[in-house]
Amino acid sequence: MNYFWLSFKAIFFKDIVIELRAKRVLPTMVVLGMLIVWILRISCEAASGSTDIMGPAALWIAFLFAGLLAQERSFTTEQHQDCIYGLLLAPVDVGTIFLAKLLVNIVVLCIFEIIIVPVVLLFFQISPSGRWLDLTIVLLLGNIGISSIGTLFSAIVQFSSSLLSIIVLVILLPMMIPATFALLLLFGAIPEELAGTGALAFVGNFKTAVAYMVVFDAIFAVACWLLFGFVVQE
Amino acid sequence: MSEEKQKGRNDAVIEISSVSKAFAARAVLKSIDLNVTRSQSVCLCGVNGAGKSTLLRIVAGLLHADAGTVSLNGYSVRGEPEKTKPQLGVISHKSMIYPDLTVSENLSFFANLYGVKGVAGRITELLKDVGLFSYRYDKATVLSRGLLQRLAIARALVHRPQVLLADEPFTGLDAEASKYLVGVFANFIKAGGTIVMTTHNTHTGLQCCDRVVVLDKHRLIFDARTSEIDTAAFTKDYLSYARSRN
Amino acid sequence: MRRALFVLTLVIILVSTWMAFTIGEVVPSEANVTVEKNIVYVHVPSAICTALCLVVVLVAGICYLRTGKDQWDRLGAASAEAALVFATVLNVTGSIFARPFWNTWWAPSPRLISSAILWFLCVAYMILRTNIQNPRHRARICAVFGIIAFLDVPMVFVTARLMTDQHIDNVRFETAAQSASFGLSILGIVLLAALLIWLKTDILQSKAKLERDLT
Repeated sequence: MNYFWLSFKAIFFKDIVIELRAKRVLPTMVVLGMLIVWILRISCEAASGSTDIMGPAALWIAFLFAGLLAQERSFTTEQHQDCIYGLLLAPVDVGTIFLAKLLVNIVVLCIFEIIIVPVVLLFFQISPSGRWLDLTIVLLLGNIGISSIGTLFSAIVQFSSSLLSIIVLVILLPMMIPATFALLLLFGAIPEELAGTGALAFVGNFKTAVAYMVVFDAIFAVACWLLFGFVVQE
Repeated sequence: MSEEKQKGRNDAVIEISSVSKAFAARAVLKSIDLNVTRSQSVCLCGVNGAGKSTLLRIVAGLLHADAGTVSLNGYSVRGEPEKTKPQLGVISHKSMIYPDLTVSENLSFFANLYGVKGVAGRITELLKDVGLFSYRYDKATVLSRGLLQRLAIARALVHRPQVLLADEPFTGLDAEASKYLVGVFANFIKAGGTIVMTTHNTHTGLQCCDRVVVLDKHRLIFDARTSEIDTAAFTKDYLSYARSRN
Repeated sequence: MRRALFVLTLVIILVSTWMAFTIGEVVPSEANVTVEKNIVYVHVPSAICTALCLVVVLVAGICYLRTGKDQWDRLGAASAEAALVFATVLNVTGSIFARPFWNTWWAPSPRLISSAILWFLCVAYMILRTNIQNPRHRARICAVFGIIAFLDVPMVFVTARLMTDQHIDNVRFETAAQSASFGLSILGIVLLAALLIWLKTDILQSKAKLERDLT
């Protein structure tokens, strides 16, 4: 157990230090996120659309695309000078490598969230009405889902980032629906009494949406952790 | 089995037995047998595509053989990686060094991965040995190719391995850097270590190794001690053979 | 053997088609619907086939990762292609079916969203296969994607089964002849899927052999 923590910490801090020092991806993520939010806000204004509907959409779209950028980075550092082989030659379990890189991706996305969420709330003039904990939980669950799948596939599509986008976005589709509805409920775009009825049949209520995201994250985090060894080792 | 061969087997640090490997139905290695004993340094020669790097990667545990076994000091490379990986250090033409970390951060990272005790002291000792102590706070990007190779050597030796695998270690090095590397190998052997290296630079390879093995058309075709052959003639013959194969 | 399967499949499909238009004709819930109701004989079997093909992709992926044998990769690729064909048929027939019943080509109901996501998963698999040149790399990525994509399938179906849905059953099977023709149409299309997978696997095997012989 001690050895697991030693190697986990070593890989985690190595990646965090590299990212914070090189600042390769975070600025791009923030700029991309701001651009998406800004364009959607302008469209909303031009079409007299409802900001509490567009706000959650802007948040998830910015999140998804920024998340892709973050994941592409996670194995780019290992491509340089065959560093991945340096990792694989060490007596480190591949599962440990996956978990450390997953946590790095989650942390990077969290930093992005801290910047972009206030921007969305301000631009779209929406508020979770005091349910900040619920908002944090939903965003964190989305973060974990995006990061789990992204970390796995970024390891195997190192040389083709466009393929990573295709895989991650398609696999995340089932989670994005309850995730979007959860935010719509939080921001009051859908009154709670209407949840689970008619056209909103897909997601019963906020608790159901969150439960679905928890199950999705649990299944995919474990599956990606188990499959990671097959991906990096020949 | 002859007594000498049995004794050789028993002293073997690396035992490669009937190893075969194919990629997409194309054979790369066919039934390779090779034993390397303690304090031996083996120069593995062969033209491009002969399978030298593939064999080294199988010994390092980065690749699984389709058939056959590889063991390190009696432990299976495939079945017991937790026992074999700490015994191995690998140097290649790629440094496996993170450019955005400093020299000491790189070494510290690998030392922690291998569970080295007394990391700070070990790093100081190594950096002084390889002559990079004054660069310890510099990012790896500022190092020249020769200095980067020294850092790679330090990385490979941080956990005090018993076996060093070197894949084309002289690639891109000038005469001075090559001479330094030859010195490192000599010191490693003197301390009881074992080396297997692949190189196109036959002349330098034969200088630092006491055994030469040639791979061709997926098989081992030549295996002799360098003390028993005329190295100059071997180099000349090997070069003309390599030219004819290309 | 394959010829026999082809003949059997053809016979079953022809018989089930004849039965669907004659003795096994179903009764639609809407008066204005005439021909469209028969799409149920293609739509539902296509859904079953898509799911079955994805199961084969999953098994083939697991077997490839365990053994590294190329035949599992070929089986996975052939099954994914068949899954894409049937997923396309599922979505297209679904739209044709939806129009007279719900007055729309598509609605965001759980079952329709599930069908669309299945289609996207199959398309992503085929994009991966065509874009990665290195055969070993391609086989490994597709095996891993096949396993992960299959895990997506129950996630999608859970929401479809647990939530209320406007995709209600708009046709009724009341007589034995109707049930028989429905059962036969499922059998016919499953056999068609098996035939397609068999053919495609053989084509991929011949292609691999040719490439080996040429190099």
